[in-house]
Amino acid sequence: MNFVDRMLKIDRRIIYLILALVITLPLLFRSPQRIRVMHPVATLFNAVDSISPNKALIVNFEFDPRDLPELEPMGLAILRHAFHKRIKVLVMSLYVQPLGLAQNALTAVINEINTEAKTNVDSLIYGRDYVFLGWQPPPLVPILGMGESIANVYKTDFYGNKTDTLPLMRYIKNYKNVGLLVSLSSSDVPKWWLEFAQNRFGLRVGAGVTSVSASEFYQYLQTGQFSGLMVGMKGAAEYEEMIESNLGIHKRRKASEALPSITYAHLAMIAFIIIGNVGYFIKRRQK
Amino acid sequence: MSISSDPWVWIGAFLTLAIFSFLYKDNPFYKFAEHVFVGFTNGYLVTFTWHNVLVPSLFNPLFRGQLILIIPFIIGALYFTRFIPKVSWFVRIPIGISMGYGVGANVPAFIQAYIIKQIQGTILAPQNFQAWHAGSTGIVWSAILFVGVLCVLSYFYFSREQKGILNVTSRIGIIFVMIGFGAAFGYTVMARVSLLIGRLQFLLGPWLGVIE
Repeated sequence: MNFVDRMLKIDRRIIYLILALVITLPLLFRSPQRIRVMHPVATLFNAVDSISPNKALIVNFEFDPRDLPELEPMGLAILRHAFHKRIKVLVMSLYVQPLGLAQNALTAVINEINTEAKTNVDSLIYGRDYVFLGWQPPPLVPILGMGESIANVYKTDFYGNKTDTLPLMRYIKNYKNVGLLVSLSSSDVPKWWLEFAQNRFGLRVGAGVTSVSASEFYQYLQTGQFSGLMVGMKGAAEYEEMIESNLGIHKRRKASEALPSITYAHLAMIAFIIIGNVGYFIKRRQK
Repeated sequence: MSISSDPWVWIGAFLTLAIFSFLYKDNPFYKFAEHVFVGFTNGYLVTFTWHNVLVPSLFNPLFRGQLILIIPFIIGALYFTRFIPKVSWFVRIPIGISMGYGVGANVPAFIQAYIIKQIQGTILAPQNFQAWHAGSTGIVWSAILFVGVLCVLSYFYFSREQKGILNVTSRIGIIFVMIGFGAAFGYTVMARVSLLIGRLQFLLGPWLGVIE
C-alpha cells in the first residue's frame, strides 16, 4: 500500500484522536485569541443596551443540555449585561427541558452580582428586578397570550408565586412594556417569535442560535426582523468581549476560552479535506 | 489538579465517557448510557408535565368547580382511544382541532413573516443597501442577493425544460446553492466541535480539576 492509499484509508479513530488532541491541548495550555466583534452581535448588544428603564428584557431559554456549550455562555453574557445596566428581566421557556438550565444561569449571575452588592439598591431582588416565569405549554399560547397579558398566561411563576402580586409585573403587563426579547435556541423558536409576536404585536426580537442552524437565521437579520444575532460559541465570545470592553464586566469567559480549540479543530478539518481530495485526484490520475 | 469528590460529577463523567466509547465501537457501556438518557428524559418530561401542567391547570381548577374544563379534558383524553381499535377513530377529533388551530394561526403569520418580508428584503432599495452595514458596497451585496435569489428560484422551476436563458440562470443558481451548503457544513463542523469542547471542559474542569 503506497502513501496515497494510506491517506485515503486513514482509520476514523485516528481522525477522532487527532481532533481530540487539537481541541484538548489549547484548553490545557491557554493561548488567548483576539476576538473581533462582528456587526450582528454588536447590533444585539446595542439593542439590549438601549432598552428604556420602564421596559423589560425577556430572555427566552430554549435549549437542552446538548447545546449548553454554545448557548449557555450567551445566556450568561446577556443576563450580566442586562443586570449591570439595571434592566428588568423576565426569564421564560416554551418547553420544559430548558427550565433547569435557565434557572442555573439566572442563579449564577444573580449570585455573582449579589455577593458584590453592598446595599439593598445594589442587590438584585426577585420580583423587583427579575422574574422567572417558567413554562406554559403549548408554545403558541404564551407567544400570543403575552401580547395581551403576561400575568394571564403565567398565573404563577416558576416558584409558584402568583405573578400579578410581584411588584415588577404590576407595570410589565404585555409586549408594550417589553423593550426586547432575546431567544436563545437550538431550534426554530426565534422564528416563531417573529411570526407571531413581532408580526402581530411589533415585539423587537433578537436571537442566539447554535452554529448548526445559523444559515437559517441570517436572512431575518438582513431584513431587520432580528435586532441582532449571536451564532454559536463565536457569537457568545463576541458578546463576552462586548460586555468586557464596553461595561468592564470581568467574569469567566467560557466561550472565549474555547475559541482557540475551535480554530485548531477547523484547521485540522481543512487539512483532512485537502488530504482526502488530493489523494482522490492522484488516485484518479494513476488509473 | 484536584479530582472531584462529588458523586454526581463522577456519574456525569462516567456517562460522558460511556457515550464517547462509541467512537471506538459499539459496546455495552454506550448502550447503558443511551438507555439511561432516554429513560431519564421521558421520566422527567412526564413527571414535570403532571406536576406543573395537568395538576395546576386542569385537575385543581376542575375539582374547585370550573366544570368547563371537562371539555378540553375529554378532547385531550380522546388521544388515548388509539389504544382501543374499535373506537380509535375518535383520535381524529383532537388531531383535527390541533391541526385546524395550528394552520389557522400559522398561514397568515407565515406569509407575512417569511414571504412578504423576505421579498421586501430582496428588492434593490436604498434601505436594503444600508442593512448590510457595508457603506457604499451595500448595493453590491444587495445585487448579489437579488441575482442569487432569482437564479436559485429558476433552478427550482421545473415547469419548463432548462434550456437557453433558464439553463444559464439555473447553472448560476446551483453555484449559490452549493455555496449555501458549504456555509451550512462549515457551521455544522463548528457546532459539533463546540459540543465536544463543552464535554471536554466538563471532564478537564469539574471532574479532573486540570483547568478552571
